[in-house]
Amino acid sequence: MKKTLWLLAALASGVALAQTKTVTGYDSLGVVIGKPGGTLTLALSSAPQTFFYYGAIDNAGSTIANQLFEGLIEYNLANYKIEPALATSWTITGGSKIYTFKLRQGVKWSDGQPFTADDVVFTYTQAVANPEAKGGDPGNFAGVKVEKVDASTVRFTLPKPAPAFIQYMRLPILPKHKLLSFSQEAGKPAAEINNAWPTNVDPKEVVGTGAFRLVSYTPGQKVTLERNPNYWKKDAAGTPLPYLDRLEYLVIPDSQAQVAQFLAGNLGQLNITGTDFPTLKQREVSGAPIRVVQFRALFGSPPHLAFNYDDKNPELAKLFKETGFRLAIQSAVNRKRIIDDVYNGLAELPGNGVAPISEWYYNTTKLLGDFDLKAASAALDKLGLKRGPDGIRLLPSGKPLEFTLTYGSNSSTFSAIATIIQNDLKSIGVKADLQGVLTSNLLSTGRGKDWDAIILGFGDQPDPELRTPIWKPGGALYYWHQSTMPLKEGDPPQFNNFLPWEKEIYDIWDKAASTTNFTERKALYDRWQAIFARQAMVIMIAKANAVGAVSTKYGNYIYDLGVIPGYYPVPLMYQK
Amino acid sequence: MNSPVSSRPRLIDRNGPLYLAWRRFSKNTPGVISAAILLLLYLMALFAGFLAPNNITTQHPEAVYQPPQRPHLIRDGRLTWPFVYQLKKERDPVTFITRYVEDTARPTPIRFFLRQGEPYRFLGLKTNLHLFGVAASEGYLFPLGTDQFGRCLFSRILVGSQVSLTVGVVGVFISFALGILLGGISGYFGGWTDNLIQRITEVLLSIPRIPILMALSTVIPARWPSTWIYLGIIAVLAFIGWAGLARVVRGQVLALRDVDYVTAARSLGSPDLRTILRHIVPNLTSYLIVTATLALPGYIIGESALSFLGLGIKEPMASWGLLLKDAQNFQALGLYPWLLTPGLLIFLSVLAYNFLGDALRDAADVRSLD
Amino acid sequence: MWVFLLKRVLIAIPTLLLISVLVFAVIQLQPGGFLENMLDDPRVSRQTVEHIRAQYGLDQPVWAQYLNWLKNIVLHGDFGFSFLNNRPVSGLIWERMGWTVLLAVLTILATWAIAIPLGIYTAIHRRGLAATLANLVGYFGLATPDFLVALLLIYAVLSLGGTNVGGLFSPQYIDAPWSWAKLRDMLGHLWIPLIVIGLEGVAGLMRQMRANLLDVLNQDYIRTARSKGLAERVVLWKHAVRNAINPMISIAGLSLPNLISSTIIASIVLNLPTIGPFLYQSLLDKDQYVVMALLMLSALLLMVGNLLADLTLAWADPRIRYE
Repeated sequence: MKKTLWLLAALASGVALAQTKTVTGYDSLGVVIGKPGGTLTLALSSAPQTFFYYGAIDNAGSTIANQLFEGLIEYNLANYKIEPALATSWTITGGSKIYTFKLRQGVKWSDGQPFTADDVVFTYTQAVANPEAKGGDPGNFAGVKVEKVDASTVRFTLPKPAPAFIQYMRLPILPKHKLLSFSQEAGKPAAEINNAWPTNVDPKEVVGTGAFRLVSYTPGQKVTLERNPNYWKKDAAGTPLPYLDRLEYLVIPDSQAQVAQFLAGNLGQLNITGTDFPTLKQREVSGAPIRVVQFRALFGSPPHLAFNYDDKNPELAKLFKETGFRLAIQSAVNRKRIIDDVYNGLAELPGNGVAPISEWYYNTTKLLGDFDLKAASAALDKLGLKRGPDGIRLLPSGKPLEFTLTYGSNSSTFSAIATIIQNDLKSIGVKADLQGVLTSNLLSTGRGKDWDAIILGFGDQPDPELRTPIWKPGGALYYWHQSTMPLKEGDPPQFNNFLPWEKEIYDIWDKAASTTNFTERKALYDRWQAIFARQAMVIMIAKANAVGAVSTKYGNYIYDLGVIPGYYPVPLMYQK
Repeated sequence: MNSPVSSRPRLIDRNGPLYLAWRRFSKNTPGVISAAILLLLYLMALFAGFLAPNNITTQHPEAVYQPPQRPHLIRDGRLTWPFVYQLKKERDPVTFITRYVEDTARPTPIRFFLRQGEPYRFLGLKTNLHLFGVAASEGYLFPLGTDQFGRCLFSRILVGSQVSLTVGVVGVFISFALGILLGGISGYFGGWTDNLIQRITEVLLSIPRIPILMALSTVIPARWPSTWIYLGIIAVLAFIGWAGLARVVRGQVLALRDVDYVTAARSLGSPDLRTILRHIVPNLTSYLIVTATLALPGYIIGESALSFLGLGIKEPMASWGLLLKDAQNFQALGLYPWLLTPGLLIFLSVLAYNFLGDALRDAADVRSLD
Repeated sequence: MWVFLLKRVLIAIPTLLLISVLVFAVIQLQPGGFLENMLDDPRVSRQTVEHIRAQYGLDQPVWAQYLNWLKNIVLHGDFGFSFLNNRPVSGLIWERMGWTVLLAVLTILATWAIAIPLGIYTAIHRRGLAATLANLVGYFGLATPDFLVALLLIYAVLSLGGTNVGGLFSPQYIDAPWSWAKLRDMLGHLWIPLIVIGLEGVAGLMRQMRANLLDVLNQDYIRTARSKGLAERVVLWKHAVRNAINPMISIAGLSLPNLISSTIIASIVLNLPTIGPFLYQSLLDKDQYVVMALLMLSALLLMVGNLLADLTLAWADPRIRYE
């Protein structure tokens, strides 16, 4: 009865009322109608570097930005399909090159200013496509024309079809009226945009269309947000979202300190790793007011073992380039044991470049091979690597088969994986010397020349296209075969250094990048995954599950989305 | 004293300073106990290979995080040969906690002086004789439990003690040699020598250790054998460590250089270095002993910070610091508390060193009226 | 005296320059940094990285970067720019200075307040249960790594149902205005870092004090003072303790830079809002001007501390003179 009345009232006020988005359809996830009010406190692993999303690649900043801003589109929380957010509808025409977005009417920024097409155009031209913006994405917006058609319509014109382009429409839209003075449009140098909204900015300046707005930041300690009264989402009963009045983030870099704060009740929710699962689950079982859940993850960085195809030692380089060698090593990688002992069982067999839960996944489990030290040994024998007097195999030159295995020394996961692999390799006559480097230096070590084998992980993304620089030979992150990379910025890759199967992969990626039909793209990426696995391009190790813990004080904590930790829908959470 | 036969030269001068010091030392109970503990620890380190029942690098995936096995003497109400029960692993399907229960159907006798496993080196000879253990065919014996990889913690602690019990001593020796010499010279000569050395110490002291170590960790090659890396670490730690001591030594020398007996020695033509070492430094003995024993834990513990940075003793080798790293999370504190044992040993050895240092200081104090 | 002071200040300048060159070199020795790690984000391309490198002048030779940094300090008093935070370094440091100084002062005070009396006590009463116990307390802090003590304390507080398991405040007080409740809340949190960080230094100071005092007590002038019939209390406090404290002054001078760089790992575990963890994170990210500024500040503090120690030493010990 009440509901009907409310609806009538809404209809009556008609035009003046914003076009709200009703968040429904999540009953299967256990989402219920919540209760307004309350405070939720979460953890950040580092202090935010800026409140300007495009001013830094910054996990803490992005986590906060997720609550402060919205993009044109967003993911459906149940099926991970794209659905309307600040845009209500869109069309793709002109041979998949023209994207036209109809914007939501009546949306207001948190300071009361109206949200219009100007804000969208401003965000994409001045920030996203700005080559000097530290957190921009000029690479994917090169040659893209962004225009305002009318106050509520925006058109993107692409130079050529790009199937993953729609993914970039999730980027947060920022207010032109607050940021204009930092932009090229106002005559400032391109790099000036990075100076917008530093951490000591007046919180009132940070204006968004997201569920919350900024209240204060205590340097290095805490970020406080409050409910944005102008937010444009409602729940199924018509109650405006978010339910929570306040959202607080505590800056806690150490993972053990985070666990302590959660157990002490100072944090309402926490993303943890498999290592901490037993401790927390045990408390839940013994009656503590918490709930610990784990689910297969889409995002997250599955580790892989890579060999340097361009090793400084030519003999090793030749060996590492041989698929037979990599496959032999693969059968000495005990994935099951790693999953059991390192991840406490909270991981699954990895995909090859694609998370197993993703719609793009091609089942490569069979191609990953089984853990079989005898077979590994036999395969190495067949390659002519005979064992020397001390049990270590000898290279053709008579030198022992010995190389360094680089891993992240301050990551308990990577160092444990390295220790297990080293031990198993030893038993098949391969000597790996462990070389720890700080996790923050892993990628640059890999992109350098001083390594033989390395354990590294890249973040999985919802569309393979987004990971082109990693998996397409010659890409910026195709670090295990650096001689395929272009000699000079902008040049084509060095095709003469390609291995035959690398050329094949390269062509697949080239073709997929201009194919827009899902089935055709899927078929192409399937072929790539199969080649990847068959060649053991790099040896994928395991895909960790996402593990989260929440205080039972809060409702609508849905975590079985396989989404990146921190992306769970805070606006739907409520305090019981 | 009452011996009539005095023609034999006395080996021990009962009034000599050394003997008196010894008498004073032997009356210091904590000191004597500490000395005994340290002696024991060093013997343990020396015979590590023989005392350790298991190989320190062998992983037992089926016995991960196994708690210590208790030795039993009584079975079915009767006294028997010492034995242990094998443990059965159970994984809780909800919490994923691994638990072990004693498999009372499988008593395994502890055997002594058994030959098995990979040979180790002792004083140049290769042997695989172990003091105790259980026959490999009959099961495992992990007296202090196992780590994340199912490696025997007891054996790893024993072998790790070789590193941990020497790293401090050698490090302190090097940094003291440098610190006393340079600090002494600095304070004694004054002038521009003093200035130069003081500036060097300031430079060394003012760069925090972490960035230096981070830079070093990228310089030391991975292929170096563990012993080299180990020596490298000691050298580095010592090289950074001498500066603080030099400051204090300089301060004391500054105060003592114009004291009468030093001026006298100098005017009698005693060479400068000799004056410093023979006439000034001995005044600092008590200070030095104390500082040395205080500096030791820094080396033992500091080595664990190194492994955090990817430097230091590398897996699968062991040291107390490295082993203790495994205990630094709530999971270990709550579920696998035996991983704290290396910390206990660090504590014990540091305690022993310091009580010993106190006792030595007091013993060396000739003027003390006791 | 003034000449000496002037000389020291003048000589400090080239020393600081030398330190800055060394520190800059040490930072450059490290591989990686935030720029390379940005590549893992799908938004970032190689071109973006190159643009930013140029934006920050990181494409210039190292010596040019150094000279540029130096020039800005000398000419503009500008200590550089944090790459990660898009902000001048000085502001970032300033934000964290208050808590850092407060904690450092409190821990130093706590350490000295415990250590000096214990040292004197154990020097006078050399044997006995009380003395051994006092020693044990001191050695405990020495023999256990500070971060382990931190973890154990947090674990203990948690097991007892406490909520003060890190940081300086409960979440709701962090950004609240000062009040009695906030102060009480802070005191409830403060004791953990005071124990963890403070206890570490107790053993050292206490032992030094004890040793020094014992040395002094055996000196002839003490015997003379005693034989002159001075009260034992006067002998002890006026003559012995005062002389025994001298060498401690050097140590005090050296503890100034601890403000910044000591107990970094313990501070991370305890989640303290101080400069240590900030320095560590900047080192990991190779945010070079932040690191430079912090390390130079630490060097400056050390030199000031040294100078103060020398001056105090000269004032306290008439045997020392500076020509």
